[in-house]
Amino acid sequence: MPEWLEVTVRSVLFVIVLFFMTKLIGKKQIAQLSFFEYVTGITIGSIAGESIMGLDGNLSYGLIAITIVAAIPLIAGLISLKSKKFRDFTEGKGTIFIKDGKVMEDNLKKERITADELLQLLRRKDVFQVSDVEFAVLEPTGDLSVMLKKENQPLTPKDLDMKVASIKEPQTVIMDGKILDEPLATIGYSRGWLKTELEKLGVTIENVFLGQVNSYGELTVDLFDDKLQVPSPQERPMILSTMKKCQADLELFALATEDKVAKQLYTKNSKKLQNAIDKVSHILKS
Amino acid sequence: MTVVSDVKQCLASLKGVEASLSNLAKRTEDNSSKRTLHETMMEVSEIVADLKKRVGELENEEYQYKGY
Repeated sequence: MPEWLEVTVRSVLFVIVLFFMTKLIGKKQIAQLSFFEYVTGITIGSIAGESIMGLDGNLSYGLIAITIVAAIPLIAGLISLKSKKFRDFTEGKGTIFIKDGKVMEDNLKKERITADELLQLLRRKDVFQVSDVEFAVLEPTGDLSVMLKKENQPLTPKDLDMKVASIKEPQTVIMDGKILDEPLATIGYSRGWLKTELEKLGVTIENVFLGQVNSYGELTVDLFDDKLQVPSPQERPMILSTMKKCQADLELFALATEDKVAKQLYTKNSKKLQNAIDKVSHILKS
Repeated sequence: MTVVSDVKQCLASLKGVEASLSNLAKRTEDNSSKRTLHETMMEVSEIVADLKKRVGELENEEYQYKGY
């Protein structure tokens, strides 16, 4: 076999081997989450390189070495699933850098992180002022996780005592002008329903780049032809406004009528409707 | 006086709301939203029942408006 052919064969072979090895070890290997994955990543790479180019060496030795090196993180991963102590040893523990808003200088020294590097790590998390931080820990992977003081954390609906409607993930039902049957079936709709909804929007399926259905069963689309205006779903705001109108009507009737019993009935029902509106408006507002 | 027709219009709108809410509740996947929508639908249907009674009374009072 000429040497160039042998190199080609070996390269292809090792690319395939490396592909399956990495698949086997899983996503952890790609993210290089722990010490083991980091080390094996480097080692497997250099063994493969050596085996491809070392034409005089035996090919099978390279394969054996790669298998062993790949098996170690696999076994270590299985053991660390069971044992916390082993996990702490192999994957390492986080180092607390900031606690109760105060920088732990000793821990910085232990990890050999300078003040500049700490600031840099914080900036990567969009924190520019150390005093904004309540707690920060350097993860074994080298990322800094930051918990801001409560007053510096983003405002959430919970802070404002706001009611928000919980939603489920939307399903993509049209892609590149083609209907995706599986997600459509997941949310329990048929092609016929989708065609009707598209007709309501006044667009053809060929013109739709992306179409998604939200948890209220409303279809939203993005078209290839960006000049075309697509109406946004109006049903929910429409219900809300009709309810508001009826509530105002009932109040008006209560004022207009002279019959006492009727007045009472109108007032009672307008209040009831107002309560209903308050209860449901967070869902109907889009 | 056009009160009867006004009330009837309001009644019709509320019936529409009731139907839309029930439709929306049926389609909504999130369970808590579904429940809230359903409860609201029930409340609206109570109001509809009340208004229907009132329309009946008004029609008796103002016989000439019956049928609108």
